[in-house]
Amino acid sequence: MHMATVTPLLDVQNFSLEFRTRSGMVHALQHVNLRLNKGEIVGLVGESGSGKSVLSYAMLGISDAAARVTSGSAHFGGLDLLQADDRSLADLRGREISMIFQSPRTALNPIRTVGQQIEDVLRRHAVHTRGRTGPDQALGFRERAVQALREVAIADPERRASAYPFELSGGMCQRVMIAIALACRPSLLIADEPTTGLDVTTQAAVMDLITGLARERGMATLFITHDLGLAAEYCDRIVVMHAGHAVESASTARLFAGPRHPYTARLMSSTPTRDSQLHQLHPVPGQLPDLRRTDLPPCRFVERCDRASAQCNASLPVLDAAAIHGVACWHPLEPATP
Amino acid sequence: MTSSPLLNVEGLSKRFPVAAPAGGSNGNKGGKKKAALLHAVDDVSLHIHPGESLGLVGESGCGKSTLVRLLARLLDPSEGRIEFEGLDLATLPANRFARLPQRSWVQMVFQDPSDSLNPRYTAQDTIAEPCLLLAGMNSSQAAARAAEVALQVGLPPELMQRYPHQLSGGQKARVGIARALAVRPKLLILDEPTAALDVSVQAVVLQLLDKLRREMGLATLFVSHDLNVVRLLTDRVAVMYLGKIVETGPSAQVFEQPAHPYTRALVSAIPGCGPRVRLEGEISSPIDPPPEVCRFASRCPVAQDRCSRQAPVLQGERPSGDSGPSGPGARHQAACHFTRWSLAAAQAV
Amino acid sequence: MSTARHIRHVLADNPVTIVATALFAAFVLMALVGHWLVPFDPLATGVGPSLQAPNGTHWFGTDALGRDIFSRTVVATRLDLGIAFSAVLLSFVLGMPMGLAAGFLGGWWDRIISRGADTIMAFPLFVLAMGIVAALGNTVGNIILATAVINLPFYIRVARAEANVRRNAGWVEAARLSGNGNMRILALHLFPNALPPAMVQVSLNMGWAILNAAGLSFIGLGVRPPEPEWGILVAEGAQFIVSGEWWVSFFPGGMLMLAVFTFNLLGDALRDIFDPRKRT
Repeated sequence: MHMATVTPLLDVQNFSLEFRTRSGMVHALQHVNLRLNKGEIVGLVGESGSGKSVLSYAMLGISDAAARVTSGSAHFGGLDLLQADDRSLADLRGREISMIFQSPRTALNPIRTVGQQIEDVLRRHAVHTRGRTGPDQALGFRERAVQALREVAIADPERRASAYPFELSGGMCQRVMIAIALACRPSLLIADEPTTGLDVTTQAAVMDLITGLARERGMATLFITHDLGLAAEYCDRIVVMHAGHAVESASTARLFAGPRHPYTARLMSSTPTRDSQLHQLHPVPGQLPDLRRTDLPPCRFVERCDRASAQCNASLPVLDAAAIHGVACWHPLEPATP
Repeated sequence: MTSSPLLNVEGLSKRFPVAAPAGGSNGNKGGKKKAALLHAVDDVSLHIHPGESLGLVGESGCGKSTLVRLLARLLDPSEGRIEFEGLDLATLPANRFARLPQRSWVQMVFQDPSDSLNPRYTAQDTIAEPCLLLAGMNSSQAAARAAEVALQVGLPPELMQRYPHQLSGGQKARVGIARALAVRPKLLILDEPTAALDVSVQAVVLQLLDKLRREMGLATLFVSHDLNVVRLLTDRVAVMYLGKIVETGPSAQVFEQPAHPYTRALVSAIPGCGPRVRLEGEISSPIDPPPEVCRFASRCPVAQDRCSRQAPVLQGERPSGDSGPSGPGARHQAACHFTRWSLAAAQAV
Repeated sequence: MSTARHIRHVLADNPVTIVATALFAAFVLMALVGHWLVPFDPLATGVGPSLQAPNGTHWFGTDALGRDIFSRTVVATRLDLGIAFSAVLLSFVLGMPMGLAAGFLGGWWDRIISRGADTIMAFPLFVLAMGIVAALGNTVGNIILATAVINLPFYIRVARAEANVRRNAGWVEAARLSGNGNMRILALHLFPNALPPAMVQVSLNMGWAILNAAGLSFIGLGVRPPEPEWGILVAEGAQFIVSGEWWVSFFPGGMLMLAVFTFNLLGDALRDIFDPRKRT
């Protein structure tokens, strides 16, 4: 079953990427299909080594120098991000696609005030955003920066705009980072583990802020995390990644009603919830395969999977990113009975 | 009655001097500035019985790291007693504690396995070192003990000669656990041991910790900000806020029916445990806090005038029919004027 | 990864490193066996006509006393390298523990040691070296001492910085829990981890130390003639540059430059070899 054929905002197809390292070629991503529609909040969930951050960095053109795209495309508004030159990408970054990171203190420039940093983004894209930001058009850059701070619920924004990052708390720096990212009203926000390491109450506040703004502005959000529970709470749809493959893609409700990929099921069963008991946790057996191997099986979960067959060693079905519940597996678990 | 506690902490406090804020907010006009004190841990009392597991939860800045370091004797307290099997460890200075025989009684597993292993020590070196220094073993005895405890934690022998950067996160975590257990401590402190690990590895390590706890009859203090995890592994839990313990009780009960407003907010913030209790307002400063004001009052959804005039103390219920130090019969108490017990006590007066 | 493979990888990473290593090996060889391989006795005067330009017999020419410059230059390697090596070793052995103590223990240790290092660094270092040698006398031992003293602050700073950063590392706390007292932590835990940045320092210092010894000798405060040493050789030739006998200074000076160059390049390679985290 396919979803309504609306042109996706971001259409990643057959994306493969590898890294040249001293000890071999790391096949970080392989044949990844991913779709994001306008205004959708999608969670990209995976453990460390799954390639979720690598994917987002590559799309923005900020991968490590040793990265090489070996196949695929990532279409965004008519442009293939993977083939685009640096100038086009630089024009897009901050204006149409923004990214927020895990550690706000390292993402902010310590020797410029927060107001100046927001103004920098506005100025950089001023020629493009004129006429696009509606009522803000008439305001100067400074006023727009203050407005951006107000929108991320920073109290007393006029005064805070002249503050340096070291004068603000960690939570506030996070909000400033969000304000910088959203200053030009991008249509896509990539949030790379923005709440990892934060306290539970701060985490909730930050996620509420991001998703609230996203809904208000119809902004698509790709939310990268290792926390399945968090994704469940805030995302419309979830894509599960494992060892460089996208293995399952479904709406949150469908995914939790009945995960179909064995890895997803294991991931869910090893996450403690409020009702689980210790003996009910079933960890994923084994370890991630070494992505430097030249003899990697087509399905990278096959060595840890109890449903594997000879077919799994021969080929892997492609994840249909447009399907309502896509899964890249020959022997998926039974779908939940409606 | 119940057996005597293994660890009995009473009135433990730790205050750090900090530079006084400019402007003399404490009313010192002219003259010398009085050194301001940051109350990291304020009058904390708790106990752990042999074989019991106590959880410690709280957010960053609540003082649990400082408390943990006080109990592990890496820091000296400003005041208070840390009684371990009757001996007050607080009287033994921290900078000499490493060389004392009591060092092996309390051991700790650290939060970040990557940061807690010496990059130039192999796994075997790391695990064997406490045996050499604290258990008076020679190198072959220490190596044997290291191999033995590595087996217990599920660390394959071929990994013993590896350096930390050659080990995965889960393997490093196991090395840290093995090191702590090598000298057979009586109390094991676990400082967010799975926070830096992937979910699937976390589950394995949690089950391992639980198994070891039961096998070795260890008393444990499990510190974490992940309430789901704490609930799984602990018999009782204490909730800290700005240096004070605001609620303690049997884990299941505290999470099902939190008595303190902060605990309620904490529990509601877990994804999937909505509806969210939102905390508005500024966190009160831990520097020279006025003793008559409840620390949580500035953000508390149910605060009233009384909360700024009289700081609440831990009050709870004594369940009828004591059944032991832990388990459902244990005392559930909270420091708030508006718990059901405080209201009942007020009415009884 | 085994040590040999690791070293090969480090060398292969940057071709310049291979050049530097080859040169380093050549210098060490010259220092060790140079005495026996040179065609002429470096101290013998009159083995050739005085001030003869480089030719087939005397590859670097001869000086005013008819001595073969090639032989003298090669033989000088032992003294120069020897002085530099001894000075750097002394600096390292004294400076690292001081820096580690200052960084880790803090308090009065830090104050006294840091102020001491600051005092040394307040002087223009070469002038300080001159002063020390002038005060204590013109011997090789004093050159080594002077060079060691002026290089001390570099090691103190490197070690102090490392100790300061790492004193709050988890594994230092864990080491305390394992029963390590301060001495053991400094020696067995902090010191090995401070080695990689110290190694870069060692190599750079070798270059500096050679330059320092040569400089002192050049102004007459170091090794005394007729002992062959690059600085002296350059000094002996300085007066002849104007009159056109360029080779007397040129070759020793060139060798000096090459040696310093080699050690500077070697610094990065040494650090990479010593850092276990670079082993994948």
